[in-house]
Amino acid sequence: MSVFLSSLGFGLISAAVLAIATVGFTMQFAVTNVLNLAYGSVMINSAFVTYYLNYHAHLNAWVAMIGGVLTGAIASYLLNRFIFTPFQRRNLPPITIVIVALGVDLVGTFGLQAIVGGSYFSYKQSLGRELHFWGMYLSTLQLIIIGICVVVMGLIHWLLKYTRLGKAMRATSANASLARNSGIRTQRVISSTWLISGALCGLAGTVFAMNTGVFVATSAQLYIVLLLAAMFLGGPGSAYGAMLGALTIGVATEVSAGYFNPEYKEVIAFVVLLGMLTFRPYGLFGSEKTI
Amino acid sequence: MRFSKMARRGGLVDHSRQRLVLVASVLALVASMVTLPVAEGTSGATSFKGSITIASVAPFTGADAALGPKYETACYAAAQAINASGGVMSKQVKCKTVDTRGDPADAVPAVRQMYATTSNLVLVIGCTSDEAATVVPIFGAHKTVSFCMTGQSEFDAVHYPYFFRLVPPDAADSVAMVQIAKRHSFKNIALAFGNDAGSQTFVAPAEAAIKAAGMNVVSNQTLDMTASTFQTEAQAIVQSHPDAILMEALGAAGVALLSEIYQLNGNKMIPTIGTSAMIDPVFFSGVTSGPIGTQNFISAFDADNQTVNASGPAYPLYHKLVLQQAGKVKGVPSFPGLLSANGTVHLYDGINLAALAMDMAKSTSGSKYKADVIKIAEGVKGAVNVSSYAVGLRDLKAGKKIHYIGVGGSYQFDSYQTAFGPFEDDQFLANGTTVAVGGTLGFCSLTVCKSTP
Amino acid sequence: MPSAFAFYLATIIVYGAVDSMACLALNVQFGFAGLSNFGFIIFQAGGAYVAAVLSMGNWQKSNQGFQQYVLGWHLAWPLPWIGAAIFGGLLALPFVFLVGKRLRGDFAAVGLLVSAVLLNQLVNNFVPLFNGAAGISIVPAPFTHYFNPQGLGYQFAYGGVAVVLTVLVYFLLRRVTESPYGRSLRAMRDNDIVADALGKNVRVQRTSMLILGGMIAGLSGAILVGFINLWAPGAWGYAETIVLFAAIIVGGAGNHKGAILGALLVPLGFEEVTRFIPPLSNPALVPALEWVAIGLLIIGFLWFRPDGILPERRRILSGAGKSAAAMSAPVSAESDSLINLGNLDQMDFRQLLRLEGDASDHGIILSTDRLTRAFHGVTVVSEVSIEIQRGRLTGLIGPNGAGKSTTLAMLAGTLAPTSGKVLYEGRDITSMPSNERAKSGMIRTFQLASEFKKLTVLENLVSAIPRQSGDSFVGALRGRRFWGRDDAENIERASEMLEGFGLTQYADSYAGGLSGGQRRLVEIMRALLAQPTILLLDEPMAGVHPNLAHKIGDQLTRLVASGMTIVMVEHELAIMDAFCDPVIVLAEGRVLAQGTMAELRAKKEVVEAYLVG
Repeated sequence: MSVFLSSLGFGLISAAVLAIATVGFTMQFAVTNVLNLAYGSVMINSAFVTYYLNYHAHLNAWVAMIGGVLTGAIASYLLNRFIFTPFQRRNLPPITIVIVALGVDLVGTFGLQAIVGGSYFSYKQSLGRELHFWGMYLSTLQLIIIGICVVVMGLIHWLLKYTRLGKAMRATSANASLARNSGIRTQRVISSTWLISGALCGLAGTVFAMNTGVFVATSAQLYIVLLLAAMFLGGPGSAYGAMLGALTIGVATEVSAGYFNPEYKEVIAFVVLLGMLTFRPYGLFGSEKTI
Repeated sequence: MRFSKMARRGGLVDHSRQRLVLVASVLALVASMVTLPVAEGTSGATSFKGSITIASVAPFTGADAALGPKYETACYAAAQAINASGGVMSKQVKCKTVDTRGDPADAVPAVRQMYATTSNLVLVIGCTSDEAATVVPIFGAHKTVSFCMTGQSEFDAVHYPYFFRLVPPDAADSVAMVQIAKRHSFKNIALAFGNDAGSQTFVAPAEAAIKAAGMNVVSNQTLDMTASTFQTEAQAIVQSHPDAILMEALGAAGVALLSEIYQLNGNKMIPTIGTSAMIDPVFFSGVTSGPIGTQNFISAFDADNQTVNASGPAYPLYHKLVLQQAGKVKGVPSFPGLLSANGTVHLYDGINLAALAMDMAKSTSGSKYKADVIKIAEGVKGAVNVSSYAVGLRDLKAGKKIHYIGVGGSYQFDSYQTAFGPFEDDQFLANGTTVAVGGTLGFCSLTVCKSTP
Repeated sequence: MPSAFAFYLATIIVYGAVDSMACLALNVQFGFAGLSNFGFIIFQAGGAYVAAVLSMGNWQKSNQGFQQYVLGWHLAWPLPWIGAAIFGGLLALPFVFLVGKRLRGDFAAVGLLVSAVLLNQLVNNFVPLFNGAAGISIVPAPFTHYFNPQGLGYQFAYGGVAVVLTVLVYFLLRRVTESPYGRSLRAMRDNDIVADALGKNVRVQRTSMLILGGMIAGLSGAILVGFINLWAPGAWGYAETIVLFAAIIVGGAGNHKGAILGALLVPLGFEEVTRFIPPLSNPALVPALEWVAIGLLIIGFLWFRPDGILPERRRILSGAGKSAAAMSAPVSAESDSLINLGNLDQMDFRQLLRLEGDASDHGIILSTDRLTRAFHGVTVVSEVSIEIQRGRLTGLIGPNGAGKSTTLAMLAGTLAPTSGKVLYEGRDITSMPSNERAKSGMIRTFQLASEFKKLTVLENLVSAIPRQSGDSFVGALRGRRFWGRDDAENIERASEMLEGFGLTQYADSYAGGLSGGQRRLVEIMRALLAQPTILLLDEPMAGVHPNLAHKIGDQLTRLVASGMTIVMVEHELAIMDAFCDPVIVLAEGRVLAQGTMAELRAKKEVVEAYLVG
């Protein structure tokens, strides 16, 4: 039982980081219909900005975090404005955009590596005490991250359900041409979505780096697999599905690591992803029409 | 821009000719790349007739990028002293680096290109587990003597006449680590090794040695080097309540694991015994700048290492030479930290050995001087002990037989041309250098440590 | 020639051949068949592994058993390489489920990419099978007991064999792609839904390409392993596949020579050139910049020159004389109203379209029983039961959102019903997939542009003709001698059709470059050449100039008089009035009325709901 509980604890923090990332990722897919495989590179660049502001500019950790969030927002917005949208206008098959995204991921990740080099960067910050409660082991920092995640999820929920922008986003993702014909300024909606999801991306990258404690330019390269697994589990394009998918994947990988060989813990995520793609690519709760 | 305009115009017309020109020019570009080495003549930069080259064939980029600079430093340090004494057979020694990128498939063309662009290549150093399997046969075919750092068991099982190893295979490291544990009377041991090729070779010998010493393995974690957190593994280790952890995990993964164990253990570090490869300035700075902090880390971490004769006659010169290379070699956060890195120590010795052997055989050709490497390293009857190139050269010219005792002591080779020397227990100092503690561990073979070889 | 340079050259030749072979295979999958195999490296690594363990001896007895692996049968060359190719092909089978037509291309690609990452992780960690991250070393080179593998002569011979094999692969792949089967592959690439609706089995085609590409990839892996004598998982990361994709994009997707060019420029040329750069201050800079350059190459080429340096060749199917005329005639947007279908009046449809059966038979050929379709709880089509008579032009009409296109899609099989049945010639075909229905004679067209853009007009037409001897993998392999005559006849038929429709001068123009009305005609011609028993047309007049629409309508009437059955979705009343009889009216997903136009005009509810004004 203790193995399960401690793994559950690790699963929660893993899920928290994953949830923030997946919601952003799935929002981008929802309004633009693009699998943004360059997401990881934006994450890691934002993480570095935060680290740099914190350590070299000696700014307070929270202020530095805001820097990371802004980096993510701006980078994602620019990415959509200057890469995805122009390519999409050319009416190419969706796979072309995915390949372009892979190219951008290479440029983003290895451009960063060219600048900062291959050595690694550690967070020295006092992570606070390791707390042991309900059989789980979590540090103060991790609890803060989980808290941030809950708050952010709440904000997204409020955004989608109660604001005009949120409703416009949902309409645009369901049927863009219909939304446009109904008077929704879809261009504006799309830009706003990329800014918001980009902010989530930046935040995700930052907390990812803080949680792992030590990272390099290529640390987030394989994170995309977990993102995809979480997104497809909950249904591509669905923010609530993303939250649920992230929780499931986060907990499942850590719990399986607790009981089986931890080297293989991400195998569960892969198997889930492949299973979903085979049997229900529209997610557990979606239906064929949504994609 | 021209191309896209052409594509939009309908009809073939001159398309085929333009395409032909384009293809021809591209192929010409490729052909010119291939003839570059010929046009370039001998090795790029300043190459005078009277020089010989030593190449460091190792990863300088990629996951194991920390390794290459260690060997490069050894080359510059040794070469500086050799050249100051007039060089080898009056030829100056030059150092060259060949980046294998840590990929064995990439290493093959890299080495071939090295041969095509390097005249007077007399010695190769480095060749780690990342690439040794593919490049050692090539060195052999070219009759180039190589001093390699690979710990792979393949080289305990197959004979390569031009292959020398001045460091014992990883299995001996494992045995040495267990010896350290024995000294501290540790009973319950946790293992944490990365899943990469270089680290997994330690596991089985460690388990065997632990069992033979009457200790228990309470946890065995294999670390996926591409993962970013190891909370579950760390938790498993902490929960198994080990007296000590034996580990090798280079790169960010090792730092992450130790930090997580530290935290999950109530902000206390479990005594950790690392392999000699973990005596690495990059690793040191990574761990100590994390939550563990310098003091906590150095008081709980030991690493096995081949003996560095810090009080021996070869050391002062070596010390001076290595520190003088600061600024010449990139990718090393702290030069003092390299002083006991076994790559730097033993390859420095290796270069001296090779140079003296060349002088003794009066030839820079590997087939002629390789036998003398062994003679100088093991010392024939009546040989006088020397511990620097200058002294050795002087004695050779005086007609004496010499026995080289270097920074790493004296080297005795087995039938696979691997030297098994004595091991020591190293601890870090706050400035990243290491110091031996507790006296020698003895001569550690693939199974046990003994006081005599 | 200094011999060290010669060794380097031999190495480059081998690596060049291996990369070229890999790019050729991936190009057939991606550039010709539209299959984005992001997991390509799996096949190369798998083949290499099998070649290694087949050529090595039993692990416990070799070299003091320092490495673990399976098999170890110590087979002589060429058996390990043959085994590698076979295994590479077998590896394709587990991925069958990812390449059906129901899964979006980009989703499938992502699935393949993830599989590559997954397998790499498993291999790295699982020792008994693969020896973990250490890989398998001391893999013997072919004939290692007779020759010295390190000798220059051997290495050049090795390179020679590699090049010869690459050339053979080139010819093999060309044989496959320059055949009617290759045409089907490219059609599938351009529009897989439409290809499926014309009878092509998309899943089988894609799986065949995975197998074929997998076999060649496996062989290329074997060649590499035999040369460097080591199999290490580190050499087969998923990033290698991205490099190969970049190579194909640069060299030219859909062009075999382009694939080879790309291989020489990117994985080979790029890697080798960077070796000559002197060491810089930050040694990590060069490989990092290499990756940045590859990313920029991908983005740059896809933006500025998506066809690559050597674009896909246009296939000229018509005779040489005609082709000269076709090429120099620029494709401009001709006024649709001036399109002349006059020749069609002279054409004997029954003969041209191989129509059989009694043209005066008006029995029920197609019917549905309470067909229903719901999305997300919204019922789009509800309990629709209709009957379609033979030899009639039935209209399916209704306001926007009535469910007409959805019903048509369910008839054709491109959409599955939530409940209800579809019966064709008495048989329940509800669970029959759309390509099977097409082969049984149910051919549908689509509302939006659905021509195969990068096929010429003639290719578009010929691709639809069923039962071509060269339109199968085996048929393609048998070569032109086997399918040549059959293909020539088919081209002749298509050319006749083209002449009838007055579009002969566009025979060899890319279908994507035609005007809207012309493309619509191409689609209709293509559907006709598919030898339909029943034609399901989805708003064929949409966006077409009224004059042309009328001409088309006239011809459809003639077709029906010759014995064909047509169901036409339309919302333009004038068209309905002029040509359709009987008519089925749908509203809000239900059948409002069925009958002749006269009968419907008499019905009050129909008039009120729809026929206003």
